[in-house]
Amino acid sequence: MTEPQSTSNPAERLHANVAEIHVPEPSADTETLLVKLGIMLPMLGIVLILLAWYNASDTAFVADQIPMLISGGLLGLALAVVGLGLFIRFSLARILRFWLARMVVEQQAQTDRVVEALARVEAAVRNPNGSN
Amino acid sequence: MTATAPTLEHPLELRGIHAAYGRIEVLHGVDLVVPHGEVVALLGPNGAGKSTTLLVATGQHQASAGCVHVAGRHVNGARPDALARAGVCTIPEGRGIFRNLTVRENLRMATYQGVSEDHVVDVAVTRFPRLGERINQVAGTMSGGEQQMLAIARGLATDPGLLIIDELSMGLAPLIVAELYEIVAGIASDGVSILVVEQFARTVLGVADQAVIMQHGRVIATGPPADLEAELSAAYLGASS
Repeated sequence: MTEPQSTSNPAERLHANVAEIHVPEPSADTETLLVKLGIMLPMLGIVLILLAWYNASDTAFVADQIPMLISGGLLGLALAVVGLGLFIRFSLARILRFWLARMVVEQQAQTDRVVEALARVEAAVRNPNGSN
Repeated sequence: MTATAPTLEHPLELRGIHAAYGRIEVLHGVDLVVPHGEVVALLGPNGAGKSTTLLVATGQHQASAGCVHVAGRHVNGARPDALARAGVCTIPEGRGIFRNLTVRENLRMATYQGVSEDHVVDVAVTRFPRLGERINQVAGTMSGGEQQMLAIARGLATDPGLLIIDELSMGLAPLIVAELYEIVAGIASDGVSILVVEQFARTVLGVADQAVIMQHGRVIATGPPADLEAELSAAYLGASS
């Protein structure tokens, strides 16, 4: 058992604690789930294809191979395609979102630099001798 | 450029809160700010939307629109227990104590954050010496005022940054209510921000730094209590306050 921290005041403690709590974001959570699905489905698809290949190679009869190709090979291929589609779709969305956010931040920084430079120019024009 | 001291965000800020029960919207764009170390009284007649505002602020009811900010962080959708652990403490209407447990056992319930029982009891007895005398008494056999003291003590034991009290005066004698609000003012002077939801306005205005008057799910007036006499009368439409 511990005593509560007494080093900070209630407001600072509240700020520190609130910063740590998990606030669910439904769309972000769904997106994370779909990206994970996009990784798992192709893996599952590849396993199914390998199983189908293994079972089909075990017999010389085409009639026995076809069901394995359909249930294993085609299903595995479909899962792999769907999974890859999901992964690419949501990975691209994340990359583009990050790129856009970075653009906005850089644009803001650039604007600040321009404003600062203009302020310096204005100050220099108003006071060409450089004295206060 | 001049260096400015870092300022902390308000402990609680509601912006344009809309909330509904099913299809019935009961809050229509509520704005509310609780500054640091201040007592804010949320007033209004029965059905004004005060308790729903409280439920939204504490994460017990989801806002259909608008922002709930606690300590500057957007916390819409956060779990009520997470907010409570972070320091948003609610003392509900009806006190929410365990009536069949003793005072000590009730205080033990506040040790969920890993705080020792001795510390919880110490904080409670320091603030409310009367609870020390009743430490082994069954809570349900105490007077209403003492039960309310126990509820507040249990909340304070968690070292809250924001204390939200719903209808503190409910069922209590005016003298006891005045005594409790003096204690509330003392808690605020220790730096805890307090939002008090009250139907009976006069009882809380003596200690409140700011008052917010609600009517029909909207905030109709905000400001220092002394400036809101006319709005109060209009809001209550002659109701006993």
